[in-house]
Amino acid sequence: MLFNTLMYALFVPVVFVVYWYVLGKSSKAQNIFLLLCSYYFYSCWDVRFLGLLLFSTALDYVSALQMQNSKSEHIRKIWFWTSIGINISFLGIFKYYNFFAVSMQSALQVLGLDIDLYVLEIILPVGISFYTFHGLSYVIDVYKKRLVPEQDPIAYALFVSYFPLLVAGPIERATHLLPQLKKNRTFSYQQAVNGLYQIVWGLFKKIVIADQCALYANAIFNNAPQESGSTLFMGALFFAFQIYGDFSGYSDIALGTSKLFGIELLQNFSFPYFSRDIAEFWRRWHISLSSWFKDYVYIPLGGSAGSRFLKIRNVCIIFLLSGFWHGANWTFIVWGLLHALYFVPLLLAQKNRKHIEIVAFSNTWPSGKEVCQMGTTFLMTTLAWIFFRANSLSAAIDYISGIFSISLFTIPSVRPTNVLVLILFCITVEWFGRRNAFALENFNLQGNRVVRWFFVSFILILIFVFSSPVEQQFIYFQF
Amino acid sequence: MRRFILHSVLFLATFFVVDKMFYFFLHHAPTLEYDTRLEQILEGKMNKEVLILGSSRGANNILAGQIESKTRHSTYNLSYPGSDVRFHYFVLKSVLKYNKKPKMVVLTIDNPHEFVNEKTLNFRFDRLYPLAKYNYITQELIRQKEKNVLSWFFCLARLNRSNFSLSKVAIPLDGKIDAWGSMPFYNRKASFIGKQNPIHQYNSALENTEKITAFKALQQLCFKNKIQIVYVFPPSYGAFDKQFYKRFLKMVPAHDVMVYDTLNTIYQKEASFHDESHLQQKAAQVFTNEISTFIQNKNYLK
Repeated sequence: MLFNTLMYALFVPVVFVVYWYVLGKSSKAQNIFLLLCSYYFYSCWDVRFLGLLLFSTALDYVSALQMQNSKSEHIRKIWFWTSIGINISFLGIFKYYNFFAVSMQSALQVLGLDIDLYVLEIILPVGISFYTFHGLSYVIDVYKKRLVPEQDPIAYALFVSYFPLLVAGPIERATHLLPQLKKNRTFSYQQAVNGLYQIVWGLFKKIVIADQCALYANAIFNNAPQESGSTLFMGALFFAFQIYGDFSGYSDIALGTSKLFGIELLQNFSFPYFSRDIAEFWRRWHISLSSWFKDYVYIPLGGSAGSRFLKIRNVCIIFLLSGFWHGANWTFIVWGLLHALYFVPLLLAQKNRKHIEIVAFSNTWPSGKEVCQMGTTFLMTTLAWIFFRANSLSAAIDYISGIFSISLFTIPSVRPTNVLVLILFCITVEWFGRRNAFALENFNLQGNRVVRWFFVSFILILIFVFSSPVEQQFIYFQF
Repeated sequence: MRRFILHSVLFLATFFVVDKMFYFFLHHAPTLEYDTRLEQILEGKMNKEVLILGSSRGANNILAGQIESKTRHSTYNLSYPGSDVRFHYFVLKSVLKYNKKPKMVVLTIDNPHEFVNEKTLNFRFDRLYPLAKYNYITQELIRQKEKNVLSWFFCLARLNRSNFSLSKVAIPLDGKIDAWGSMPFYNRKASFIGKQNPIHQYNSALENTEKITAFKALQQLCFKNKIQIVYVFPPSYGAFDKQFYKRFLKMVPAHDVMVYDTLNTIYQKEASFHDESHLQQKAAQVFTNEISTFIQNKNYLK
């Protein structure tokens, strides 16, 4: 069940009505109901993998309790490593085994050894990277005694499987979500309205921006050798907006849906294309993953403390892991390393925390310097996206060399005016909403209802006009 | 919460009303089209005795007006360039739903692409989009998953992006439709270099089951309504695929199949063709004459 389908549009209101009207007085009953709905939601993808989700949930729940109850440090360690090991093994088998097998085979062939390693013919369970990371953070927090393990199995299972975040995040923390699931939730008009705004804006970004850009990005990337430099550049731009619209749109729908149930999820995007440097970009792009790696990998490795070598090593590890998390392909690894390359100079110059507040916070428009900074950062990330999008490293390199050719200064063969206007509209709305958690947060909530409804109707009209009869997958579902 | 539900319902009601303003585009879209044949069918204005169905080979190579004057039976060409047998079946089904049934259907066969996937032969959804104001068309679009059930409630969900235009659709250079629905060619296509198509071995394993089903359904529809079908193989400057022909004869009565006169020298001249598969008007007259003679000799319309 995709977020951008009629099925989901019917599913959410039904869940909403039962949740508040029928079960509104008992948070326990609400949790049980949400859990059942979440399992139903997951089963709609592929019921075969529900067992894996249940097993992973049970393993982490039991491991955490055993770590808490055990007086021996040795036993605690055994439970901890069992849980971590099994979780990572699942991820390794389903997501990375074939990559390692094929890479190993190629490496051995270079050495003259022709060994035929077994390649698995399995599909990747939807959301495995996300719910595994939920479980890992929980077990690590309990082991480090930063968190008291949850006794209520329903609340814990809901934390792992809550349907808005189950298949593509945001990657939640037990410390943030579990307390919300334990307390009685009261309905808030403002929160629910904001939830609807966020869903509508998310759908706009997915259907109107991402899916339209995808048409052109796919056409250009699939036909790259025949295209001029300027057209290839347009293709990279379209992909930059496609992936932003797709993933931030998904996150907005997830967060908005959750708001309808009185549950706030972690913010995942904060206008990343308005960043003035790469460090700021990573504080604003896929925030829940960046902060996960920061808290569970980067800081334990020493963070930005220590020698220059250690700093560079830690940054490289974190970006390499980030790339590898996205998929078992060298293109993702190079994408991550390229970002490390962008980031290291800022870290060494101690400028990585220079831009904390959103750009032009107290002004309407950015200064010339800020425009240049944002433009440069955007172009750098766009260049890196080429590796993310390309099917192979050689294809990415050919694509980039195609851009930096004399034909870069010709008129691109693909220049759809309607899509460019829509992108401009999206950027404008996001610019004026950049001080909020999402572009339409509290949009004119105290103002004229006619203006508010007119604007939302306009967005809905665009969604209707641009919606495709064919279900369009979200890019991050493959991760 | 009551306030939230109330406001949500009010908003939806308002949006529902706003949506209805888009009926203008729905209503206006058919008037912008130059090809009004499908709309004539839906309006019940297609009451002819002989109907020609097919792809561009039917549209360009068969002159319905000539058949009408020779057989003295009203004839109309409902062939759509780029359409496949699924679309031909849909056209005939629509004719029977809204019009008097014809006595005969001349079905043009695309040798050898009739049943296999061919990127230039499809179900012509683009012919249906401008007619989305008709429930029958919307129903078909929903059935084929081109639209969803929201189309029953929202005009916006029925509309296609191309329907937002206010200017008339330009008639393509070779797309002029005569009074009998045919589209004869009067010139040679610039890119036609006269090469013959290479001969492929016809592989029935590659056949599309949907196309086979549609073909059989079309036959069944004609059988039920006592409509005579004539299966026509038009001339091609490319090779005639005998393997496909043999396969085709297993599906139809051989005496209802009409193949162009392969010995006629006019079909061997490059100058008779617009491109590999389409005749120019003068050669089309010759071919149409063959069809008329075939129909008359078989006494199908008596």
